[in-house]
Amino acid sequence: MQEATFLILTALAAGSQHGYGIITDVWEISGGRVRLRAGTLYSALDRLRAADLIEVDREEVVDGRLRRYYRLTPGGSAVLAAEAARLAANAKAALGRLSLAGGTT
Amino acid sequence: MSDSALERRYRRLLAWYPAAFRREREEEMLAVLLAGARRGQRRPGLAESADLIRRAIGVRIRLLGAGPPGKRWADGLAMFSVAAPVLLVLATVLEVAVPFRLHAPLRSAMIAFFGRRPQIGGLPLLGVRPFVVALACQALIAVLVVAGQRWLALAAIAGTAGAWIAGLYWLPDLLQVLSASVFLLAGAALIASPGPRHGRRLLTWRHGIVLALCAAAIQAAALLYDAASPLARVLSRGHSGGAPYLAASLALAGAAAALAVAFRLNPYFLLPLAVMCYSYVLQLLPRSSSSGNLIGLPTPGHLTVLFLPAVLLALAVILAAVLGRGPSRPEPSRSRSA
Repeated sequence: MQEATFLILTALAAGSQHGYGIITDVWEISGGRVRLRAGTLYSALDRLRAADLIEVDREEVVDGRLRRYYRLTPGGSAVLAAEAARLAANAKAALGRLSLAGGTT
Repeated sequence: MSDSALERRYRRLLAWYPAAFRREREEEMLAVLLAGARRGQRRPGLAESADLIRRAIGVRIRLLGAGPPGKRWADGLAMFSVAAPVLLVLATVLEVAVPFRLHAPLRSAMIAFFGRRPQIGGLPLLGVRPFVVALACQALIAVLVVAGQRWLALAAIAGTAGAWIAGLYWLPDLLQVLSASVFLLAGAALIASPGPRHGRRLLTWRHGIVLALCAAAIQAAALLYDAASPLARVLSRGHSGGAPYLAASLALAGAAAALAVAFRLNPYFLLPLAVMCYSYVLQLLPRSSSSGNLIGLPTPGHLTVLFLPAVLLALAVILAAVLGRGPSRPEPSRSRSA
């Protein structure tokens, strides 16, 4: 799974969000490293919807502009949990090896 | 207002996306783009613009190669790879079975000139060796595609083209033009489609009726071609007598097109068929009042006009298959999540 996809799913893990909310959340989660652009975001949202990992939660009109809120599906939550566990296991292994080699953690 | 100028520019960028995508997403994406804009910003940033254009092209490519259109494209080409060689044989057999019946003034002029009733086409063609070689080659290709032998059929097409270049092979002008287009397009369809075995399963009597009408239209066109030839014009002192043949050819072609629509035949089967028949239609147009048909004395320019659509379509078909979004993969994997 690409990092942007992982971060988008993570942004939706705590609750539904609209497009701009996802962009700002991903910026915060990644510590200011990943700034999603609109084209990239909607490409990813499209693919995630096609794969049934996310779905539309509701729509609102704010200041005359359409806001569509997305949320994780149960399948999306499961995929995110599995990916997070995989990354955590990899990170743990890497840190373990580094400490064995005498590196600092 | 700067906001409206920016909005207009963003809309122009969003126009890169396909209409169906825009209907659902444009307003939502616009809201996100405007929410992310700096205060007083008048133009979309360069990186933002590049990202939108790149993703829009990505969406268009994805729509092109996935889902039902891709499958129909593959099915249509597979059917064409079987139908085209069969149509060619049918047209050649008609050339033998239906001798030209010349318009009365032209016939009497030719009898006066030759001292006998002119015989063009018909059974005597079977006594001409290069014509028989051509017919045998075409029949072999048709048998191979009907039998579902993709690679043997391709080899036979290559062999036939070689025989043609070597001069072992001869057909009346009109069929010569058709056979070149057929070999190009059928060859491309054989390479790029799921193959003639798949196409054979999909062909029905409806396709048969449309193909038979096409062959009849081609034969009527052959009669017109002869009636409008420079020789005929000279002999009949301008009484070319082509009008009834032109009317018959157009009526038959019109009937084929109407039935194809009524039967809802696969458009991707009809496209190469139409391109194949295009050479016929065009070559029948008189170049000028005195010089007969387009194919009568062909220049490189004429040949380009006659064959360019077939060459371009054949190249496009092969390119699409090579790029992997084309017909040889009718059901692309959609399992990638993101």
